[in-house]
Amino acid sequence: MSVPAIEVRELTRRFGRQTAVDRVSFRLDYGEIFGFLGPNGAGKSTTIRMLCGILAPSSGSATVAGHDVGKDPERIKLSIGYVSQKFSLYSDLTVQENLEFYGSVYLLEGERLRGRIEQVYALTGLGEYRTRLAGVLSGGWKQRLALANAILHEPRVLFLDEPTAGVDPLSRRALWELFYKLSASGVALLVTTHYMEEAERCNQLAFISGGRILRMGSPQELKSRLAGRLLEVECRPLLKASAAFERMVGLTGLTAYGTTLHLNVQDEREARTRIAEIARSEGIELTGVRTIEPSLEDVFAVIENEEEARGPHAAD
Amino acid sequence: MPRIKAIARKEMIHLLRDRRTLVLIALMPFMQLITYGYAINTDVKHLPTAVYDQDRTSMSRRLTEAFEQSAYFDITDRPASFEAVRQAIDRGKVKAGLIIPPGFMRDLLAGRQAELQLIIDGTDSNPANTAMNTSQAIVTQYMLRQGLLRTDGEPPVVFKPRLWYNPDLKSPFFMVPGLVGLLLQLLIPMITATAIVREKERGNIEQLLVTPVKPWEIILGKLIPYVGVGLLIALTIIASANLLFAVPIRGNPLTLFVLTMLFLTVCLGFGLYASTVAENQQQASQIIMFFAAPSILLSGFIFPRESMPWPIYGIGYFIPLTYYLKIVRGIILKGLGYDDLWGEILPLVAICALVLGLSIKRFHKRLE
Repeated sequence: MSVPAIEVRELTRRFGRQTAVDRVSFRLDYGEIFGFLGPNGAGKSTTIRMLCGILAPSSGSATVAGHDVGKDPERIKLSIGYVSQKFSLYSDLTVQENLEFYGSVYLLEGERLRGRIEQVYALTGLGEYRTRLAGVLSGGWKQRLALANAILHEPRVLFLDEPTAGVDPLSRRALWELFYKLSASGVALLVTTHYMEEAERCNQLAFISGGRILRMGSPQELKSRLAGRLLEVECRPLLKASAAFERMVGLTGLTAYGTTLHLNVQDEREARTRIAEIARSEGIELTGVRTIEPSLEDVFAVIENEEEARGPHAAD
Repeated sequence: MPRIKAIARKEMIHLLRDRRTLVLIALMPFMQLITYGYAINTDVKHLPTAVYDQDRTSMSRRLTEAFEQSAYFDITDRPASFEAVRQAIDRGKVKAGLIIPPGFMRDLLAGRQAELQLIIDGTDSNPANTAMNTSQAIVTQYMLRQGLLRTDGEPPVVFKPRLWYNPDLKSPFFMVPGLVGLLLQLLIPMITATAIVREKERGNIEQLLVTPVKPWEIILGKLIPYVGVGLLIALTIIASANLLFAVPIRGNPLTLFVLTMLFLTVCLGFGLYASTVAENQQQASQIIMFFAAPSILLSGFIFPRESMPWPIYGIGYFIPLTYYLKIVRGIILKGLGYDDLWGEILPLVAICALVLGLSIKRFHKRLE
């Protein structure tokens, strides 16, 4: 097997008595996009900060681009790029000045710096804005600039902490095109996101909550766990129905989608009978019950429900 | 080194694009110079003056007229004794007293020297200074007009202007060099702190931390442009002190430069410290102002420390500006060198080490 871009073993970080990251393990190869999903405060950013070498782990180990995060954080900083969730470039500097500054920080100079800047212009399309102040760019272009800054020194591992938060759908797609181009050139990308359609684009996904990785796998693998266990129920009135089905035996999750309900069940056949019974006794008008292909959103609804059912220890 | 250069260069761009700060840097020295230099320095005319004429001759009357015609002295009182002149000055009725001795005309016509005395109330240094210089000119003019010349070259009138109450005459000479200290103290911590806090507010620091830049490179790179600004301010004030107010620079400019750098470092360290305490730019400027006000009042910039009650006098020992004022005034006005100033340099070095050490430690801590 090839050398992994990121390899994490039992990585843990405690702040006082709080455990922000709890024995996290995963592996990411070059050329892959790894998605981190989970609620705010789940430990995604803390994990990334440890992997970037700016926060020491309490226990466990991790290597990034072949360097150990505990022993060699300075070498790591040279081989990674980082784009943060909030726009953190210099708004009173022009696009070109921002790039020149970050380039010099990585000790790029003269011809080489100019060459790299032209290359990232070509990649991102930022060239026509080079004399524009970064502060007046739209959200999508700002993030493209942030990405351009992060890849100037040709890092082999990229950390993207909610890179598309607050960016319009069109620019979001453009940014993902860039991520694909980078991964195709052999860069490993670790992305955190709240958007399901973005999660769908990752090679690997980890759902993280309370500092722990709850599920991990490719989007396909995660979805197949739900295969044959997801029912779409079309009924009226929706609110009353949702309250009634919630108490159904054998139900593992229930989510409302517009005019329908998605029910995750342990056994499809049993569930269909119970749904019909409840509808009759509660006076709910049932217009259709179908078995459907699960989406990632359904997958995460189920994971969240299961965690809630498991009790409060999962949340601390 | 290239990283520090990159940060310093970026900081320069920030500064040049920040119009508000630029205006502040440009206008403040100008305004302070006007307030403490010109506003107080304007020629004071029509000084109420008492004349005690014991001679009562045509020549003594002409002398009195010469004083009055100069428009600098208004003869408002004609007391009949020296004691009455003293009282008039004590009570503030007059600011100056001219005493013409008996036999003034007789002595002059006989070719003997005559003594003329002018007493000036020195409490208010500026009019006193003006009165002093003007009276000299008036008496010289008077002698020429009267055709009083002696063959031996000695002046026929021995003129003795005397200052009461403030013999070493604190003047704009005294105020303007102190402005260097005042402006550095007011401006440098403020712009340094806001520049660093702004970077933190915008989340730029976070971005820098994941790069190979070291914290000390960030600190140094960010401070360098403000060293430049500080030196520019100091140079502006000293140059205008010399050119506009004719303040002679008696000491060694290199000594002045070295010790100004020392004080500037204290100011930078202070700004750095405020930036680690403050969450936003507004808080930073409040912290700075909180310390700036007592610095100006208690350091001896305006009020002499010697006249303060002892607890307040003691506070002055903890204010860096106290020491720098003595240094800058000592070098410029009295021509002092290192040997004379150890009592000021050592405490300043101690404060500098303390402030810098504390703030760098806190800066590191805040980054983690």
